Amino acid sequence: MGDAIAGIVANPLSGRDIRRLVTQASVFPTAEKANMIQRMLTAFAAVGVHRVLLSTDLGGISAAVFRAAGRRRAQAGPGPDTGWPEVEFLDGRPIRQTAEDTVDAVRRMVTAGARVIVCLGGDGTARVAASAAGDVALLPLSTGTNNVFPVVREATIAGLAAGLVATGAVPAGVAVTRAKLLEARVGDRAETALVDVAVSTERHVAARAVWDPATVTQVFCAFAEPDAVGLSSILGQLSPVARGDPHGVTARIAADAPEQVLAPIAPGLVVPVGVRDVEQMRPGAAYPVDARAGVIAVDGERELTFEPGEHPTVRLRTDGPRCVDVPAVLAASARLGLLRHQLRRVGST
Amino acid sequence: MTDTMERRALTREQLLAAYRQMRTIREFEERVHREFATGEIPGFVHLYAGEEASAVGVCGNLDGRDTIASTHRGHGHCIAKGVDVGEMMAEIYGRQTGSCHGKGGSMHIADLSKGMLGANGIVGGGPPLICGTALAAKLKGTGGVSVAFFGDGGSNQGTTLESMNLACVWNLPALFIAENNGYAESTASSWSVASDNIADRAAGFGMPGIIVDGFDFFAVHEAASEAIARARGGGGPTLIEMKFTRYFGHFEGDQQTYRADEVEHARAELDCLKRFATRVTETGELAQADLDAVDAEVAAAIDQAVDDAKAAPLPTEADLLTDVYVRY
Repeated sequence: MGDAIAGIVANPLSGRDIRRLVTQASVFPTAEKANMIQRMLTAFAAVGVHRVLLSTDLGGISAAVFRAAGRRRAQAGPGPDTGWPEVEFLDGRPIRQTAEDTVDAVRRMVTAGARVIVCLGGDGTARVAASAAGDVALLPLSTGTNNVFPVVREATIAGLAAGLVATGAVPAGVAVTRAKLLEARVGDRAETALVDVAVSTERHVAARAVWDPATVTQVFCAFAEPDAVGLSSILGQLSPVARGDPHGVTARIAADAPEQVLAPIAPGLVVPVGVRDVEQMRPGAAYPVDARAGVIAVDGERELTFEPGEHPTVRLRTDGPRCVDVPAVLAASARLGLLRHQLRRVGST
Repeated sequence: MTDTMERRALTREQLLAAYRQMRTIREFEERVHREFATGEIPGFVHLYAGEEASAVGVCGNLDGRDTIASTHRGHGHCIAKGVDVGEMMAEIYGRQTGSCHGKGGSMHIADLSKGMLGANGIVGGGPPLICGTALAAKLKGTGGVSVAFFGDGGSNQGTTLESMNLACVWNLPALFIAENNGYAESTASSWSVASDNIADRAAGFGMPGIIVDGFDFFAVHEAASEAIARARGGGGPTLIEMKFTRYFGHFEGDQQTYRADEVEHARAELDCLKRFATRVTETGELAQADLDAVDAEVAAAIDQAVDDAKAAPLPTEADLLTDVYVRY
């Protein structure tokens, strides 16, 4: 099986932003993130992952897993069989409590030969992890606010799927699909989004989240599903685009536009949004941002400011992250009988 | 959502005022840091430098109806709530002209006329006070909001947790601002705060809890404006956790053997004043000359405050028994 190595990167700050105040968004406690990782480690061990690289943080997630690993070792006594793979904590670098930490951890996992990286966070965390994962398969698992890209799944099941990819038991061709990507560019500054790019007339990044549709003038979507939450939901009901479609979709937003749609633009927020000039996005083409100055939000978070004369553009790219398709992996496992278990009889050879 | 929809960008005057206050706090603290080393200042001082965006971003949304309670690290909160800088400096020097006639010192600066209930030497002493003023505001229908600032150490005090419970039970117009600068004295919050994120605790009380980059004035101001609008409208309390670093030790004289390069990194990369200046000049909301002018005025004002404080008389024996009791 060679090196069955998996990485887990967990964002301690996901699910903590202003949306809990303005839209009653859900809270995801640190303790639950640590519990998810522990459930995943059990699943990894069950399918033969022998080494796991775990990001470290000051939010208490890696510390809780570290304590749990110590308890398991103490209970197991001498010998390696703790029921978990060997867990290596990626420490030794300053923790800045910014997105840099996620990038740094994912890079170290890629360098160390991880075959799959599970990423715990929201759309923002998945976006940052994807930017550093290269061709290593990513499994974004939802613990954030605005979860369009990461899957909402029981961690044990995600662990089984990621483990089967890490060991190579399920071939990557079956299990992994390449996502699309949006690239927003202002001069020599660029940011990527996995779901949507929105142009806001706000002047500052400030509290990051976008929850006021009156400030949004344009949206660009890599995909727009009818059952999405977030800014892509605006086009999800008007002009749906699937994750597997070769194109994206863009539109202008204006309160007085003739076409109005009720959109769940954030958890707890269903508002009328005026839409005009809906247009398919072709991969590779640069679409101009109309506003003279403002902020570009990627996957729902204000990120790039721009000033008059900078003329930002947005492009759809087809070389996004390679993502683990959990149902496809477990369906393949069923076909291949990978989880069929032989009962061991006492006295048999 | 109405308040959100009606949110407006900060005016030039508001931006200038915010910069002036943040610069005043920085200049005040850097100066006290230098003056304390001369041995002329009695007692202990705990400096707020690095954390300016929190006090100013929150208090920039408050008005005369509102009250705040502070901590042992209180100079920034005092300045942001409008306490006179000259009187503050005199208080720190223990002079008759000080905010408390020189009998309180750094940790007891208070000015009720400004809605500043006081710095507080008791860790976790502020939150119960603001439950009182918030209840008064609610019963009198003044529309006033009360804000308690406390640190990561204070977040572990029973008084703080009891106050959060009470504020939620009574649905008070209150804000709990957890200023998590990473250390309670020399104890790392990552060691001492179970659940690690103080904001996580809000869920247990049924109030919103959010984390804000405490180095970013705009992030603080926006989050606080939403929480304060919600509180004024009867929506109840909010817990906001600021993540940042203090630039000086726990107190002046702290050798800080418990931390490495984080202050250097924060001063270079994260500093609230630098980031504010970069942003407002990029957008053209303010010019560099505007900021330079404020810097010069603030520097002169702090010089004056120190000179006046040093020249002012000390309390006398006859002052010992005055201001001991307050008649309401």
